[in-house]
Amino acid sequence: MTLFLTFHWGWLLGALLLGLAMGWIAVVQHGEGLSKVAIQRIALLVVVLVAVAVSRVVPGRPGYWLDLGLVMFAAYLVGCAIGSALRDRFMARQMAAHAARSSGTET
Amino acid sequence: MRGLFRWSRKWWPGLVPLAVLWCLAAWDDTVPLEQELAAMATAALKSDVLDKTRLDVAGRDVTFFADAFSEEGRRSAVTSVESVPGVRLVNDNTRLVPEAKPYVWSAQRDVVRVTFSGATPLPAIKARLLDAARTALNGVEVVDQTSFARGAPPRFDAAVLLLIEQIARLKDGKITLSDKSVSLSGMARELGGREAIWAALRNLPEGYSVASNAIAAPPYVFQANKDPVAGTLTLSGYVPDNAVHTALHDAAERKFFSEKVTDNLKVSIGAPKHFADVVTRALGALSRLSTGSLEVADREVKLSGDALFDGAATQIRQGLAKDLPEGWTAKTEISVKPPAAPVDASVCQRLFSEVLSQSRIRFEPGSASISPDSAGLLDRLAEIALRCPAAGIEIIGQTDGDGDAAANQTLSEARAKAVADYLVKAGLPADRFKTSGQGSAVPVADNDTEEGKAQNRRIDFVVR
Repeated sequence: MTLFLTFHWGWLLGALLLGLAMGWIAVVQHGEGLSKVAIQRIALLVVVLVAVAVSRVVPGRPGYWLDLGLVMFAAYLVGCAIGSALRDRFMARQMAAHAARSSGTET
Repeated sequence: MRGLFRWSRKWWPGLVPLAVLWCLAAWDDTVPLEQELAAMATAALKSDVLDKTRLDVAGRDVTFFADAFSEEGRRSAVTSVESVPGVRLVNDNTRLVPEAKPYVWSAQRDVVRVTFSGATPLPAIKARLLDAARTALNGVEVVDQTSFARGAPPRFDAAVLLLIEQIARLKDGKITLSDKSVSLSGMARELGGREAIWAALRNLPEGYSVASNAIAAPPYVFQANKDPVAGTLTLSGYVPDNAVHTALHDAAERKFFSEKVTDNLKVSIGAPKHFADVVTRALGALSRLSTGSLEVADREVKLSGDALFDGAATQIRQGLAKDLPEGWTAKTEISVKPPAAPVDASVCQRLFSEVLSQSRIRFEPGSASISPDSAGLLDRLAEIALRCPAAGIEIIGQTDGDGDAAANQTLSEARAKAVADYLVKAGLPADRFKTSGQGSAVPVADNDTEEGKAQNRRIDFVVR
């Protein structure tokens, strides 16, 4: 893991920033998004891929690319989570301020 | 948490640029990562002693090829690679270097190079042996064709270092070490080299032995060349020691009275038995030739040149071959010098006087037997006698003033007769010679000094 951090930190940072942006947008995005079943399937796929990576079944370069992809995906997910949480908090603060302002006008 | 789940349903569009990012990362980083891992693994193996090491890196997996010199070393090397940070899998293709039985190492020397072949146990030992060879062989090309093998006998390096010193003493040949037995063949570079190799092999480490030693010595050569035009006798080649050197030089001075002796002899061990005796005799034979050369190589004597007359040629041929010590052979190529133009009696007398002024006929002390050193001089006198066939010659013996007068008289007569007999044997008619003795009655120098006495002990030739 240390090697991934030192050698690929630029790409991981990119994935994290991409996740931040995506998480930021996701909070206010209209629509339902993926269905629960689709999410479960994706999660299952990821679990399988992680299992394959951990068991070191895929040899050589493909094995390395799988590891790289999973680590970047993890960085992306962390970015998404942080982005969404930040946006949510930001919106909650905005709404509170808006509510205070409207109650102030009424009185 | 519920919010997180709700939001995550909308995170998927980012996966598309993420996939693009992933492809770019894989395309950009794979080769540098592999190079980095290979460099780190190579560095990790620095302290491991291995042969034929190869590291093939694919992604984070390393395929490791190497020949190790022990099982422990092999395991340690694999662990070294496994512990490189970032390496995911090590495909272990290492093995032990093969074991050699018998354990054979050899060095072959020819004119331009020395080639090592066979087995060596470790890289460090191999490097040390090659260094030693380059130092010992000083400029001769050293070609290493050895391969690594396990199973070397103890103190292998010490034994081989000693053998490398011996290969430097060879002109050509081969030295083989098979387990603990040494075989040698070839030709020593210098005289005495064979003996030096024998002596050095006694210092082989304990347990090592010499199975066969077929090192030949270069021929032990002695050469003498008589050049009547330049008036020189050139001696070259080898003599066994300084005493023999002095003896041969003095013999040459006595036998070659009219030539200047140029002595280029060198002292070296390795002379065959009876060397000094045979060379002295052969020099005597050469002194009887008008022009000629003598070569003694090991136990073969080669004499070639021109004798002064027919009888001398026959005597030289037979005399040299006769009574040689066992194992010695003689080869003669003697021709006869064309006879000189006949001259009248007075010229003959002058020629006799000239020759006898340069040297005198020597006898064994107190006896009438002619010293072998005077053979050359007597041949010259015989040749002069042949040039004036009509002239009668009186041979008069003289002694110094020492001793009893009657004894001196008898000795002088006997000596004159011995000289006449020699000339008759050489083929001259006996009736041309008259012999007489004058004892010490007609001195030509002072009998009080050794030098004067030597001058008085003489044979005079008077042409009638």
